[in-house]
Amino acid sequence: MTADLPNALPATNEDTCGPYFPIFFEDPALEDLTFVHPGLIGHAKGAPIILRGRVLDRHGDLANGAILEFWQANATGIYRSPANDGHPDIDPWFHGFGRLRSASGAYEFRTIMPGAPQGRAPNVTITIFSDGISRIVTQMFFEGQSTNATDPVLQAVGEDAPRLLARHDGRTSKGEEVYLFDIVMAGDGETPFFDDLES
Amino acid sequence: MAKQGRIIRIGPTDNTSDQRTPRQRLRLIPEGARESFVPVAPARFAAGPHEWDMTRTAPDRPRAEGVPIEVTGTVRTQSGAPVRNALLEVWSANHYGRYRHVEDHSNLQLDENHLGVGRVFTDEDGAYRFWAISPGAYLARPDIGRWRPKHIHMSLSGGAPRLITQMYFPDEPNNVSDPMAILMGDAFVRNIANPRDIGGADVDEAYDFDIVVGGRNATYFE
Repeated sequence: MTADLPNALPATNEDTCGPYFPIFFEDPALEDLTFVHPGLIGHAKGAPIILRGRVLDRHGDLANGAILEFWQANATGIYRSPANDGHPDIDPWFHGFGRLRSASGAYEFRTIMPGAPQGRAPNVTITIFSDGISRIVTQMFFEGQSTNATDPVLQAVGEDAPRLLARHDGRTSKGEEVYLFDIVMAGDGETPFFDDLES
Repeated sequence: MAKQGRIIRIGPTDNTSDQRTPRQRLRLIPEGARESFVPVAPARFAAGPHEWDMTRTAPDRPRAEGVPIEVTGTVRTQSGAPVRNALLEVWSANHYGRYRHVEDHSNLQLDENHLGVGRVFTDEDGAYRFWAISPGAYLARPDIGRWRPKHIHMSLSGGAPRLITQMYFPDEPNNVSDPMAILMGDAFVRNIANPRDIGGADVDEAYDFDIVVGGRNATYFE
């Protein structure tokens, strides 16, 4: 990796975002990925879903002021990454990157059900920033998917795999499938987090 | 020895760090899943053209209290490539150490000419520039008398590079007791801005702060 190269520049340290990440920077277009903008015609392909849950600290209390960033493939399992430039299955109305700040620690994120990337089960990568920590990263899966059984990330976490599974909680009157996923930052029932820089 | 994920350290005297720091060793990402762990932020940001000047709330408003400073630098990856056209979100306290944030209940003095939020972009060379008020230090733990040193928050998003960090100031007495600075250890120097001549800028102090995105977080250990 880059950090091992002898001429690599020393990286600036990550630092906590603290409690006052500006609400001023919120962008509604990053909090609902089912459409590109409320004033433009352009809907993402795929089944709309709602991810709902809580970010909890080691005492089970809500982690207020948490920033969640979401990253996922489109409905056909293709990521909007430079490696896939020009791919015929890119959805022009879906970039797959979301961000929200939760004042309370409870969150709700609207998106579409990701397709299964090659060799993977459908998943959503979630990056968490908050006061007291620098970035931590996990990956969420959907209960009941047949590809879960062979997914390398779920296999790698072994008996903790159920902690990465979102629970299906029915369908809204608008037809959105609801999934529940709590993130436990520390302590009993701690969510598995991944080393995003060294592996 | 087989590679292992890191364990994240807890910031001393930082209650929130104790409450929120994962205790388990981080899991290694299997090779076949690496792509999925590299989010790419879309380049569709919005920012006002005056946001680079955080020393006032709007171009027709007077300067805020305190010392106006200019901050410039470049953003690069560890291999030295410039991070171009990236969004740099900046936020900081006012001269009195107060954030104009609805959740800052410290009762420190507000300043009607200070917002403390701004967004700028890096150019084709990865360079950025903004003006700000030199932020006040504030008492973060009154019970033990620990202060947060002067600092400016920065969040960098540009394609795959992603970093949230803080810029500190040289020779500040509270730097040594800051929980995150303690975790950074000797690498803390990378997060301290370098004073320089103001040149022709309409400010009282100027600093260079070059940012390098990537690599190990010094607040982790193996």
